Amino acid sequence: MAASIGAVVCRALHSRRHGKFLSIGRGLFSGARCLVAEGETHFGFQTVSETEKGEKVYHVFESVAKKYDIMNDSMSLGIHRLWKDILLHQMNPYPGTQLLDVAGGTGDIAFRFINYVRSQWEHQIRQKLKSHQNLSWQEISKSYQEEELKLPGGSQVVVCDINKEMLKVGKQKAQHLGYSEGLSWVVGNAEELPFNDSKFDVYTIAFGIRNVTHIDQALQEAYRVLKPGGRFLCLEFSQVNNPLFSRLYDLYSFQVIPVLGEIIAGDWKSYQYLVESIRHFPAQEEFKAMIEDAGFLKVEYRNLTSGIVAIHSGFKL
Amino acid sequence: MTLMVSVSVVRCPLYPAQRAFHASALLRRVSDEQKQEPPPSSSQQRFESHPPGDQPDQEPQRSHHSYTDQGGEESEDYESEEQLQQRILTAALEFVPAHGWTGDAIAEGAKALGLSVAAAGMFHSDGSELILHFVSQCNSELSNLLEEQQKLVQLGQAEKKKTDQFLRDAVEARLRMLIPYIEKWPQAVSILLLPHNIPSSLNLLTSMVDDMWHYAGDQSTDINWYTRRTVLAGIYNTTELVMMQDSSPDFEETWHFLENRIADAMKMGITAKQVQLTGEALVQGLMGAAVTIKNLAGLNQRR
Repeated sequence: MAASIGAVVCRALHSRRHGKFLSIGRGLFSGARCLVAEGETHFGFQTVSETEKGEKVYHVFESVAKKYDIMNDSMSLGIHRLWKDILLHQMNPYPGTQLLDVAGGTGDIAFRFINYVRSQWEHQIRQKLKSHQNLSWQEISKSYQEEELKLPGGSQVVVCDINKEMLKVGKQKAQHLGYSEGLSWVVGNAEELPFNDSKFDVYTIAFGIRNVTHIDQALQEAYRVLKPGGRFLCLEFSQVNNPLFSRLYDLYSFQVIPVLGEIIAGDWKSYQYLVESIRHFPAQEEFKAMIEDAGFLKVEYRNLTSGIVAIHSGFKL
Repeated sequence: MTLMVSVSVVRCPLYPAQRAFHASALLRRVSDEQKQEPPPSSSQQRFESHPPGDQPDQEPQRSHHSYTDQGGEESEDYESEEQLQQRILTAALEFVPAHGWTGDAIAEGAKALGLSVAAAGMFHSDGSELILHFVSQCNSELSNLLEEQQKLVQLGQAEKKKTDQFLRDAVEARLRMLIPYIEKWPQAVSILLLPHNIPSSLNLLTSMVDDMWHYAGDQSTDINWYTRRTVLAGIYNTTELVMMQDSSPDFEETWHFLENRIADAMKMGITAKQVQLTGEALVQGLMGAAVTIKNLAGLNQRR
């Protein structure tokens, strides 16, 4: 989780540097931003310049990319799988949905999306059979085909991440698990997405927005690439509301997680960064206000595990 | 118009201009799509096509986003989220025969309006909002219909119907609105009976029944008020159930059943009155007999 965070920010800065070459207008502007207004920001509990933060986070994720999934499982005791499942359940994607998963690194959300869409398709086929509608031979043969052609209904998922190492791990996982169709991997910066306007139905960012240097820019980019009626979903660590539980959680975060990081991934500092960055992220209501500022309507949030994690949802209406 | 502006002021004190820009940009886009897509709205009319008294209630629904019907310059109207949700649900009704009362129909409805299918995420995935929207739409259509009829009676252009005939026609008109969706209606009824839907569906049922009695001329202020509405609700529900498994041409058996039930209810009313009168008469007779016996026994004499 820390890895993806750092990766996003690192990627943010990298592409900003390369921005000049990729797209002149934008690049110049962002380059100018880089040189002129180098603000200060936080990297965990340290204060660093914005450029530095990106680099540091990139290195964090580069180093943990291979052990990322194992660390997630051990830190959250496997609960992160439930969180991601709940996110997909809340999304409830209809066949034909175009999903953009930003900071999606190792592809957890993307794979779950593919599973969901596939099972929905089977459900639809079964329903049609039940209601005695005549299926055309095309549809019947489609349901028997292995996933050779596109995903049912034309759904597609694009995984975008700033860190190439994380994407590499993700691609390997996809090959290993057999996900190939309807899936694409793109290197990109959450603050400057390499996509056209109004392209996606759903935009998700799971445990990634914390690492973005300019969260409001990322939110504005999300607004830009979503179609009208599109949905923004963000799964992120948030503030625990129960005081007693909060103390236990703090204890666990600062005493146990970095130790696990050292033992399993050999990297104390990255996981120290992780738990510190969680504390710096705005609370649920504040983040909700930020999302509304970007133009989203019907913004709601839902706490999971009494506030350790929150899912924020907004619509571009 | 002020609604949306005030919403943006409340939400975002720092960037009102930005939000207004976003809002108006979207709405212009949406209203453009409205201009380009007359077919969906006309097919909405197909499903809601009933006696001509329906035109008035089509207008309020659409008036918020088009003041001219000639396809001229459409005034930029701010649409609140609720109004957009209403529009999506109305568009979704078209897809109900194919997809049932589910989130899928809502997704298709959103797609028909030019929005992304993810907009269906605004609603429950079980389709309850769609059903409640449909029921309240039918109820308002019915109110308008009854009001039209009342106006005609007041103007002297039609005769005032007797209560049982009136109720029969009202229930029949209301049930006919279900005919396009009758195949999937059992699913809708079962969803309306879910615990989290019961308050809303009960509310809609009672207001509909209240409406019917009001236009039938009920002015009771005693226990009759409750009994009449309960009886009519019972008649409506049972007739609805009969209709769902009726396969006769144009649901003749259902209307026959309805006629019988209303006749029963009327008879019950008359019988109740008769019982009451008989009871009173009986009591009076007994009192008279008691006084006579007292007289005979000499107990009434004053000493």
